Amino acid sequence: MQQIKDNITKAILSLIDHKFRSFLTILGIIFGTASVIAMISIGEGTKKQAIAKYQDLGVSNIIIRDKDMTDAELQTVRMKFSKGLSIEDAKVITDVVPGVVSVSPQSETKMEAKVGDRSAKASVIGVTPNIVSILNYRTAKGDFLTTDQYDRQLKVCVLGASIARELFSYDEPVGKSVKVDDQWFEVIGVMQPKALFTETVGELASRDLNNDIYIPLSTFNKRIPKVNPFTSEVKQLTVKLGNSEQLLPATAVVRSLLNRRHFNNDDFSIIVPYELMKQEEKETRIYNLLLLSIAAISLVVGGIGIMNIMLASVLERTQEIGIRRAVGGKKKHIMNQFVTEAVVLSVAGGIIGVLLGITLSLVISWTTEVQTTITLYSILMAFFFSVVVGITFGYLPAKQAANLRPIESIRHE
Amino acid sequence: MLIDIQNLVKDYQMDSLDVAALRGINLQVQKNEFVAIMGPSGSGKSTLMNILGCLDNPTSGVYRFNNTDVTGLNDDELSDIRNKHIGFIFQSFNLLKRMSALENVELPLMYAGIDKAKRMAMSKQALEKVGLADRMKHRPSELSGGQRQRVAIARALVNNPGMILADEPTGALDTTSSMEIMEVFKQLHSEGNTIIVITHEREIAACCKRIILIRDGLITSDTPNLN
Repeated sequence: MQQIKDNITKAILSLIDHKFRSFLTILGIIFGTASVIAMISIGEGTKKQAIAKYQDLGVSNIIIRDKDMTDAELQTVRMKFSKGLSIEDAKVITDVVPGVVSVSPQSETKMEAKVGDRSAKASVIGVTPNIVSILNYRTAKGDFLTTDQYDRQLKVCVLGASIARELFSYDEPVGKSVKVDDQWFEVIGVMQPKALFTETVGELASRDLNNDIYIPLSTFNKRIPKVNPFTSEVKQLTVKLGNSEQLLPATAVVRSLLNRRHFNNDDFSIIVPYELMKQEEKETRIYNLLLLSIAAISLVVGGIGIMNIMLASVLERTQEIGIRRAVGGKKKHIMNQFVTEAVVLSVAGGIIGVLLGITLSLVISWTTEVQTTITLYSILMAFFFSVVVGITFGYLPAKQAANLRPIESIRHE
Repeated sequence: MLIDIQNLVKDYQMDSLDVAALRGINLQVQKNEFVAIMGPSGSGKSTLMNILGCLDNPTSGVYRFNNTDVTGLNDDELSDIRNKHIGFIFQSFNLLKRMSALENVELPLMYAGIDKAKRMAMSKQALEKVGLADRMKHRPSELSGGQRQRVAIARALVNNPGMILADEPTGALDTTSSMEIMEVFKQLHSEGNTIIVITHEREIAACCKRIILIRDGLITSDTPNLN
């Protein structure tokens, strides 16, 4: 123990003696470690973002969307007997497909919402009350739509977090009224903020869920006029299954069922968030592996730099080694001294690299859209690797130092 | 008997040419002797010193140190003997440049596994003994030649080795410093240490109690110095 402590002190002193050289030597390790940390942070951040996104869509859900079509396409499809996505489809899926817990149909439209002199563009979504149990919908204030309100086709609404802020600023929205297009709706609740959709997921166009205004689907169908008489009854069906293992067979059944009901018209698309998530995880894993191997290469290059300078140091200190051997230093003492020096070098590089990597990650997430998450394991791993690099690349020079013959090295000038 | 050498031979391989450095040395040294080994350069005296100091192995022959045959010992065992029983002094002092006088003297104790506090105490004592109590924190470059050699002597005797091997200890010093060093040796001898000095200077050899002449790898004379 005393020996190790002495060696470390000695190594640090010897490296301080050659500040500039030591710094240049560990540059490789610094960059290697920093890039490992930065890359893992980016990877983790992206993964976290992706998972949040898919969790909002529900990992045991199947989403069926009515396809966006031109008027002409829509007309053709109707002439081929398809009614498009409907509430009836939802009922049949609930009854027929095994493993289905519940199905929630929804309609969508974009409209102007007004409160006093404030106005904002909002997505008005007609939903059934059971959507709360299917998607990760939680209110921050008030309540979500109830079955009673649905049955009575009341003009009530729940606001997304952003739209509520936009229309009411810091006022309390619950209990107040919002004018949607030309109709008044009473606000009964405000949603919690949701992960932003910044990109399209499958057929699901990106939209900011915080800008949604939820109203009962019954009210939607009764009160909101259709722009095109051919438009399907609902825009989306969200199907919740008992667990994610039932997704694959259930998807196949849903597909063949809807094909039959829509007379083989290709007017709907099926999105399985879980599958998309798995796929994206796989892609990011490959991507991360690629990034990591680049970082690993720079660590190895850094290690070779250390080996190089240690070999030079052994040559330069041949006489010192001879003196140490003459006064009774054993091979293992010399060996330990030089390995310790290499490890101290690489650990110093590792520490600076970790700090640089953390800084880099923070700067990236502040200045770009890329989210980064600094994880403890990446720091430990980077640190561990820098020690391993020190031992690995310090071994050969140390071995060479230990094997010098004392009589020859002591006379070396 | 401290040193018992029988028929010691050392060959060197130089460019596929065998060079005999020592060609059959017989030598006995008792405890507390003060010996000078003299000879011209190339006579083999440095080779003999290396073997005596367990820094090198002979080609053939027997070397008993403290009644142990050291020719069969491995590297670690030889290191232990150097550490505990032999103190080296070299012509060019061979101090570590980046360490203070005190740290240089501590070196053998560190390899002996002695803890820091005890090391410091022993080293201070050794430096006081050679008259460098006020120079402990100085690096070798801040000391004169004579002072450096005294640091080296302190390092050689700090572990109470019993035998001090000095290879041309005054070769790099002026006359005054040389005589000071020899006075230190005389002092150490009077305290019971065995001292072997390798030199080619008569004035230095004259300070010793026994003078051995070596030439072409053989001992040519071995006489007590009576004055």
